[in-house]
Amino acid sequence: MASKLIGWLDERTGIVGVYKTVFDRKIPRVNWWFTLGSASLFLFSIQVVTGILLTVYYVPSPEHAYDSVQYIMTGVQFGWLIRGVHHWAASLMVLTVFLHMLRVFFYGAYKYPREITWVTGVVLLLATLGMGFTGYLLPWNQKAYWATTVGTSIAGTVPGIGDFILRALRGGADLSAMTLTRFFAAHVWMLPLVILAVISVHLYLVIRNGISAAPKDDE
Amino acid sequence: MNEEQKRDYQEKYRIAKLRGEKFFPDTIYKDVLVSFALFLLLIGLATFVGVAPEPKADPSDTSYIPRPEWYFLFLFELLKFFPGSLEWVGTAVLPGLAVALLFLLPFIDRNPRRHWKNRKFAAGLMSVIVIGMVALTIRAVVTTPPQAEATVAGTLAERIVAGQDLYAVHCVECHGAEGEGGRIEGVQGLEGVTLKPINSQDEMHTRSDETLYAIIEIGQQTLGMPPFGRAYGGELSPGEIESIVAFMRYTWDDRAEMPRAAEQASTLPVLKPGETPDYATHIEPIVKRYCVSCHRPGKANNNYLMRTYDEVMNSGDHKPNIIPGDLRSNLVRMVRWEKIEAGGPMPPSRPLKPELIEMIEQWVLAGAPEKAGAPATK
Repeated sequence: MASKLIGWLDERTGIVGVYKTVFDRKIPRVNWWFTLGSASLFLFSIQVVTGILLTVYYVPSPEHAYDSVQYIMTGVQFGWLIRGVHHWAASLMVLTVFLHMLRVFFYGAYKYPREITWVTGVVLLLATLGMGFTGYLLPWNQKAYWATTVGTSIAGTVPGIGDFILRALRGGADLSAMTLTRFFAAHVWMLPLVILAVISVHLYLVIRNGISAAPKDDE
Repeated sequence: MNEEQKRDYQEKYRIAKLRGEKFFPDTIYKDVLVSFALFLLLIGLATFVGVAPEPKADPSDTSYIPRPEWYFLFLFELLKFFPGSLEWVGTAVLPGLAVALLFLLPFIDRNPRRHWKNRKFAAGLMSVIVIGMVALTIRAVVTTPPQAEATVAGTLAERIVAGQDLYAVHCVECHGAEGEGGRIEGVQGLEGVTLKPINSQDEMHTRSDETLYAIIEIGQQTLGMPPFGRAYGGELSPGEIESIVAFMRYTWDDRAEMPRAAEQASTLPVLKPGETPDYATHIEPIVKRYCVSCHRPGKANNNYLMRTYDEVMNSGDHKPNIIPGDLRSNLVRMVRWEKIEAGGPMPPSRPLKPELIEMIEQWVLAGAPEKAGAPATK
């Protein structure tokens, strides 16, 4: 029965081929350092799920942002858990992504034929840091407000275009409701879509080229 | 890499794969295990460490020491090495260069060898960079001064109780302990001005939270009320003003129901039969609500401060204002609404409720103890 169903599905979707390409393949023997990529992917999915749940109650305006986060922490059933996980997974994700990069670097895994995988990985690293930077402002508390004030003013010191970058980031000369809404938009729409798209390419390349083997000392 | 090297690599990789494992289930088993461990770690962190509470953003609080999230600390610290006109080197050139190098790494590093032992320069350079980043992060943590502790009222009940304490300090001298208003006594510049009550149904039903917030923040200068918001030169942060508004709303508005937790915390203690009053349990709540508003630094009070037990017992131009066991103590006579040499009747606008005066008398008679069961002060 099951095989009949799979056969029916395969005839219409090619699902068996997909399964064989993605799961049923040989790869070199790998050690535990090779789990950092999947750990980053797992943490990203955690962030997507908890992030979507948080947007149900979060309000991106200076008047209500802080109170809505307070409400999530004290008024919403298990809101503290959802936010706590989102908060900690953010830190953990930066850590795993960074360690993943170091693993790839020290194993020389960015070399032929995986150069493009590396480039997409750099995009993902930067986007992850961007998520951290934009997400930090959203609770609209003292730490968030002043860290973002300093962070955006650092961008303002770039010679020539600094003032433009500063205004583009803040939506004006000062931190305001405009800053909060554009950080929110970047945090829940722009960067996640970039990350999703680039993760797809990254994974496609990992599967196509196969995961690199840990190099032997004569390599 | 030339074609031969590429073929060579592909051949080696083919053999490694042949000697390798199945992605499913051999490899993915490790991935699932690590992810599951991370999941447990996250639940643990969220449950047992949580997210540190922070006060609401206050653009007027320029004393706040900004600090970025921990993974940006190294960058923050790096900037300290590029002061003044060189700042752009640290903010634009170095990070820009790092990002560019990262992107171009596979095209710059043409060395076909892969083991780190055969790539001493690349591996060494990266190690130095990583160690530098870790060192900068540690340096940032060590050198940043600790933030001044701020209390954060999380739940509504906590906000109301915090608001009550703030109201007692900042508002009571003019508006009275219950918002009853009346003739102002003993406030410089407003002596003798009569205020309407702010606790009435009229007042509560026609003023929204936003209006109350704005009045407290900006003041009503034509009527003599000074601004209290920090942005306007007052003492209160936005969070503190919000707490006061919450206290007013839930205490005086007949449409709002006081949360039980706040009700319990805001009721003045009652003396149980046979109980001896002590400062911590019975007297401090009265002092906090009715006296501290004027009896704190910077107010006209003959230097009699009442913020702590010690100050209540031992400060003031006419000290001691409390003589344990003596009902002719200054404080007792004044709260009995007598005018004596040390000062006028207290609190100046209207006397305390009789049961509160009686509690103070009993406390003084019992030797003015600080804590329950503590020996009376001599």
